[in-house]
Amino acid sequence: MSGVLAVFRGEFRRIFALKPVFATLVLAVAIYAVFYPQPYLNEALRDVPIAVVDADNTLSSREMARRIDATPDIAVALVLPDLPSAEREVQARSIHGILVIPREFERDLLHGRSAPVALYADAGYFLMYQRLSGGVTAVARTFGAEVEATRLVALGVDPALALAAGDPMPLTAVALFNPQGGYATYVLPAALVLILQQTLLIGVGLLGTLPGARVAEASPVATVLGKLLAYLTLETAAVLLYLVVLPFSYGIPRLGPLWAILFVALPFVLAVAGLGLVVAAVFHRPLVVQLVFAAVGLPFFFLAGFAWPTESIPGAVHWIAQLVPSTTAIDALVRVSQLGAPLPLVRDQILVLWGLVAFYGTLAVLLEARRAERPILASP
Amino acid sequence: MTPRRALHPGFWLVFWRELGWLRRRPFLLVLTTASPLGLMALLTAVFSAGLATRLPIAVLDLDGSELSRTVIRTVDATPDVAVSQRVSDLGEGRALILSGRIHGLLLLPANLERDVTAGRRPEVVFFYNTQRLTAGNLALRGVSNAVPNVAAGIRISLRTAQGQPSEVAQPDLTPIPVQTHALFNPTLNYVHFLLAALLPSVLQVVVVTAAAYSVGLDVETPHRLHSLRRLGGGLWPAVAGKTLPYTLLFLMVLGLSDTVLFGVLGMPLRGDRGLLLLAALLFILACQFLGTLLALVLRPMGSAVSIATLLTAPAFGFMGIGFPRIGMSAFAHGWGAILPGTWFLTARIDQTIRGTPPALSARPLLILLAIAVGLAALLALRLESLRAERVLHEATP
Repeated sequence: MSGVLAVFRGEFRRIFALKPVFATLVLAVAIYAVFYPQPYLNEALRDVPIAVVDADNTLSSREMARRIDATPDIAVALVLPDLPSAEREVQARSIHGILVIPREFERDLLHGRSAPVALYADAGYFLMYQRLSGGVTAVARTFGAEVEATRLVALGVDPALALAAGDPMPLTAVALFNPQGGYATYVLPAALVLILQQTLLIGVGLLGTLPGARVAEASPVATVLGKLLAYLTLETAAVLLYLVVLPFSYGIPRLGPLWAILFVALPFVLAVAGLGLVVAAVFHRPLVVQLVFAAVGLPFFFLAGFAWPTESIPGAVHWIAQLVPSTTAIDALVRVSQLGAPLPLVRDQILVLWGLVAFYGTLAVLLEARRAERPILASP
Repeated sequence: MTPRRALHPGFWLVFWRELGWLRRRPFLLVLTTASPLGLMALLTAVFSAGLATRLPIAVLDLDGSELSRTVIRTVDATPDVAVSQRVSDLGEGRALILSGRIHGLLLLPANLERDVTAGRRPEVVFFYNTQRLTAGNLALRGVSNAVPNVAAGIRISLRTAQGQPSEVAQPDLTPIPVQTHALFNPTLNYVHFLLAALLPSVLQVVVVTAAAYSVGLDVETPHRLHSLRRLGGGLWPAVAGKTLPYTLLFLMVLGLSDTVLFGVLGMPLRGDRGLLLLAALLFILACQFLGTLLALVLRPMGSAVSIATLLTAPAFGFMGIGFPRIGMSAFAHGWGAILPGTWFLTARIDQTIRGTPPALSARPLLILLAIAVGLAALLALRLESLRAERVLHEATP
């Protein structure tokens, strides 16, 4: 036990004494907390610019264009005479959609005939496409329903029945957990977990490869336990910052209680730290650790089945991805924290994380024992 | 590479020495080829399906009528969703959403058929999880396509049954139907949208960090920088000979991943291949210059690699693919504007899926050129100041 404490004290001191480690585990964690969320802080994409090609040019067609411009999603930036000139503006990226209102639009509408409009929306960027098609469809539906109801009432149909005839079985969509569809609310809870993993992984990898990583008098088990304890102590602060303080300050809803978040975060931090110890033993040199892990963040994020559904990831890839703690932790932490899922519903994920702790912990002890057998070499 | 060349210091001497290094230092070779290719292959495997289909949802059918069964069948038949579970109350559905096993719950109220026939407009409710924006929106798309289809089927019979005049019964459920055309990516394929942008983003991290490392190996001490200069017969040819082998290597890596993207995954290549190659060359050079500059300014090398990572690893969000740049704050917009990847991706989207005429696609290429030239100028300043330091150093013993 005293061996564990000695290793713990030594390792904790090294975190603050070694410049590259301090830069990774403290400075980078602080910088990313402010820097990473910047692109998403406006939450919603507003006023996507489009052009209107109004071949009808009547009261109704202008009213339709005005109502689309009035939605928060879309802004009518240009009114153009024909489709080719509008297409050119799309290619030049001054607009991202074209609404074509054909001739006879008003006449068809007032006669109760179908009066279609055409929307050409830039699907090179899915969020723009979604805003444009959602916004235009919603305006067309309400505007059309109003005109239709007015016409039926004029024909002598009972107003309530006129509405029912238009839409006998309306669909109400209830968005849960992120009702505004905010982008920061969507991406940050998952991304913050990944940043915690990447900084801890590189930090532990550096600690294990920089001079002074070996404690000669401690047993391999005591060495691994002491180090894990040191990382856990430090990461308690990082976890509280990333999973509680940051979501709060960026206005991201959190339904789960603090203790439940910590209960899931505990095996996550230990699994990542254990993986870091294995990484350090495998790669030997601090620079190698830094370089190898620089680019893996992006693939790790998409492996988690968060931005791209797990159901669509090939089974073998998903299975191998379980070896990376973030794959399981992002799913479990987001559900506990943002959705307020009770712990029994993340039992499998917690078990996987503890499994990873056991796996990487044992591997780290074995690698440590092998290293202890060899004579201490002067570090290059 | 040959003794004859070794006698003549210059660009080629450094060029061949660098290739020799790559052969003798497996880590450097892995870092610049196998590692980016492996990560790109992993991402490609993740997105290989291209479209997310048959996302599981649950149904709570409180009516149990012919109509409610028709709704469920129609919803299940859409490509987007699959009815994977029947639940008996809302609590069970909620637990399934929280467990992550379903993306949404469709609620068909009691007396649905009776109320629809009576014209009482009962509501069908779809609860869906938008914490996962992609899956939630896809599930909603499937359900909101299917339910109005069923409604349209019962509408006309409903009107005639109410004894309305036939001209009232004829018109459409949606008086203003919107014919939506998805420009440039008609099937809304994630390979063409997201994967195509992710692959160069991975390469951006690798090129900048690897450049910082490979140059760092040569400039860690003034002595090593001095020998590099002597081998090159001057700092300029030395740096050029040091850079070019990696430019070619990274172009090959990008070419290989693009072969898979265009050849196997069916990404359209509608633009000008020459412009695409020019954009790739400018992008890789700009990234290399950035890494080289960091290695020449920051010591030890670990700091240069750290800063290179800090600049490039979180860059994807700033490049405006998932969340477009027009929606960003001034800071994020400005930061995105100085990243080479932002303009490379813009030029790349122009010359692949959009097929933009060259005249309209000049802007991203010119900005990319300006970034590359700007970084090269900073690099030149730094090299000149290093030379001046060296001269000063030699003059004062």
